Amino acid sequence: MKKLCAVLIIVALAVLIVAPVSASAVQPPLLSTNELVENSYKWDGQTVSFKGEILQDLMVREDGTWMNLSDGNNTAMGVFVPKGVAMPVISRTEDYRTVGDVVLITGVFHRVCAQHEGETDIHAVSVTVLTPGSAKANPIRLGRAVWFVVLAGLLGLVMWLYYRKPGRGTEH
Amino acid sequence: MIRRVWREDFRIIGYYTGLVTIGVGLLMLVPMVTSLVFREWASALDFAISAALTLLVGYVLVLISRTKSTPGLTHAMVIAAGSWLVAMVLSGVPYMLSGHSESFLDACFDTMSGYTTTGIFLLQDLDHISQGLNMWRHLLTYVGGQGIVVLALTFLIGSTGGAFKIMVGEGKEEKLEPNVRHIAVLIWRISLIYLGVGTVALGLIAIANGIKPSLAFFHGAYVFMSAWSTGGFAPYSQNMLYYHSSAMEIASMVFFILGSFNFALHYAIWSGNRREILRNVEIVSFTITVLTTFSLVCLALMQRGVYPDAVALFRRGFFQLVSGHTTTGQSNIYARTFVREWGPLGMLATTIAMAIGASAASTGGGFKGLRMGIIVKGIATDIRKLLSPERAVVTGHYHHLHDNTLTDSVVKGAAVIVVLYVLIYVVGAVVGMAYGYPMVDAFFESVSAGSNTGLSCGVTQASMPTLLKIVYMLEMWMGRLEFLSVFTLFGFIATSFRSMRVRKAAV
Repeated sequence: MKKLCAVLIIVALAVLIVAPVSASAVQPPLLSTNELVENSYKWDGQTVSFKGEILQDLMVREDGTWMNLSDGNNTAMGVFVPKGVAMPVISRTEDYRTVGDVVLITGVFHRVCAQHEGETDIHAVSVTVLTPGSAKANPIRLGRAVWFVVLAGLLGLVMWLYYRKPGRGTEH
Repeated sequence: MIRRVWREDFRIIGYYTGLVTIGVGLLMLVPMVTSLVFREWASALDFAISAALTLLVGYVLVLISRTKSTPGLTHAMVIAAGSWLVAMVLSGVPYMLSGHSESFLDACFDTMSGYTTTGIFLLQDLDHISQGLNMWRHLLTYVGGQGIVVLALTFLIGSTGGAFKIMVGEGKEEKLEPNVRHIAVLIWRISLIYLGVGTVALGLIAIANGIKPSLAFFHGAYVFMSAWSTGGFAPYSQNMLYYHSSAMEIASMVFFILGSFNFALHYAIWSGNRREILRNVEIVSFTITVLTTFSLVCLALMQRGVYPDAVALFRRGFFQLVSGHTTTGQSNIYARTFVREWGPLGMLATTIAMAIGASAASTGGGFKGLRMGIIVKGIATDIRKLLSPERAVVTGHYHHLHDNTLTDSVVKGAAVIVVLYVLIYVVGAVVGMAYGYPMVDAFFESVSAGSNTGLSCGVTQASMPTLLKIVYMLEMWMGRLEFLSVFTLFGFIATSFRSMRVRKAAV
């Protein structure tokens, strides 16, 4: 009986240890724009995960929706969400005063997409909002306002000096 | 013998440079208003500060340099080259205040790239900048394409004796009309009409592509300004890839091809001389070199099996090649795709196209089609001379607005400029290689900077060596102004120091 219990415990532990590994093995890898572009042949046609902030324009077309996801400094990837793939409610997209929703997509990466005339893109099979967007602070700094007042005052003075005398222009 | 530099010389140069600076300051009001429209208060204040500072510098210059003298050729060249430097520095202030430039050098790099219609950039986090800053970036490239001096001449100077010389210094040597102000007005009239048409056309395409109408016409204006001026900027880091639209790319391509044509050719066609487009040596040269380099690109891409079908190959390959040849720099592939997928032959063909560049007196850069045509015709004429009897008189001709005789001095003049371009391309590439970049990448990026194209294979980044940034900036500046005015500025500075020494010795 003891032996049986020991075997069962070992099996249970083994299942607990192996199960997450198996689950993560089927999870597509989370990749960046740089990784995808630098190793485009390696990832071509593979199912990948990609996470990024939705840039300003969600472009709804006949056969689906295009969105561009920013995943770093001057790096972004075009993601096509075909019609039929469930699209979550997007609360905000990026602009200067707004942080856009951060989404996680899973989809097939195309080095040169046959459907989109050679574009490098990902065709999403699932889209999940990870972090809803929010408003960004856009405060006016007092120090800068003071600088403006000082410069504008000086400019006014110099312009007055310039325009008070006649014949300021050149003769040609 | 080089003449001495007198105080009056400085006055003339200071006065005209001041006027151009005032023009730049007034221009900053456009992005300021854009920021106000989009309720970007912090950005609007940045532009207000920058405009006040720039106008202050401009008014101080015109106040202390007040003169009634007319600029001579030397002044004109120094004014042209110097104004671009002053404009570059002051235009960098909004970049710096925005917090998106890592250093003031990076800000100046971007403004030099904008004014020279190059299009490479070091701006950080482009995808999150204000609409005001985006407007400023594109406005710089639009104004730079027509020439800052042309702008100042049009709006700030009433009568313009000697002003044509300044325009020549800025690379706009075609004399379309007897009065220089008329030329300036004409260039702006052509550009503004195209701006209206282009913004509406591209804006409507943007709406059709699913972009909100409130933003679509801003996208239209940005893409138009970038295309027409052969600049290459775009509002987002993905450049033309952002739109996922062949219609947007085709419309933009039409505008950058038009922008790469000589203003004199536009004028000839507008004046009813439509046959000129078929006969002009620059158009013939452009057609031949586009077909040749595109054939090489096709060969490279097919050899490597980069694209699955002809449509994809044409959409990516032709757009990139023509964007390079017209020295635009808009892109519908990722920068690193050149290195990773196009390979050395594809990059070499694009590099050759960029090096040749657009038409003379256009918004574009590079050697220019006119010079290519003249040199090739010159070589052909020399071969004909060798094959003809010794007593035969063989003369070559080329058609540019009218039939011109090909003299040795014309060929020599064209060859000298081409040699100077090659020199800056090589210097930039050698510095790049010295920092460890592969030869093909170093040449690609150097030619892109020197020809004011703006395509990148990934070398241009904020983390690149400082010296390489400075070399690229010099390449952009010299390439845009076509050397003469820059050399005159250097000569003027050297002569000024010598004159000071002579005067001190006399005292």
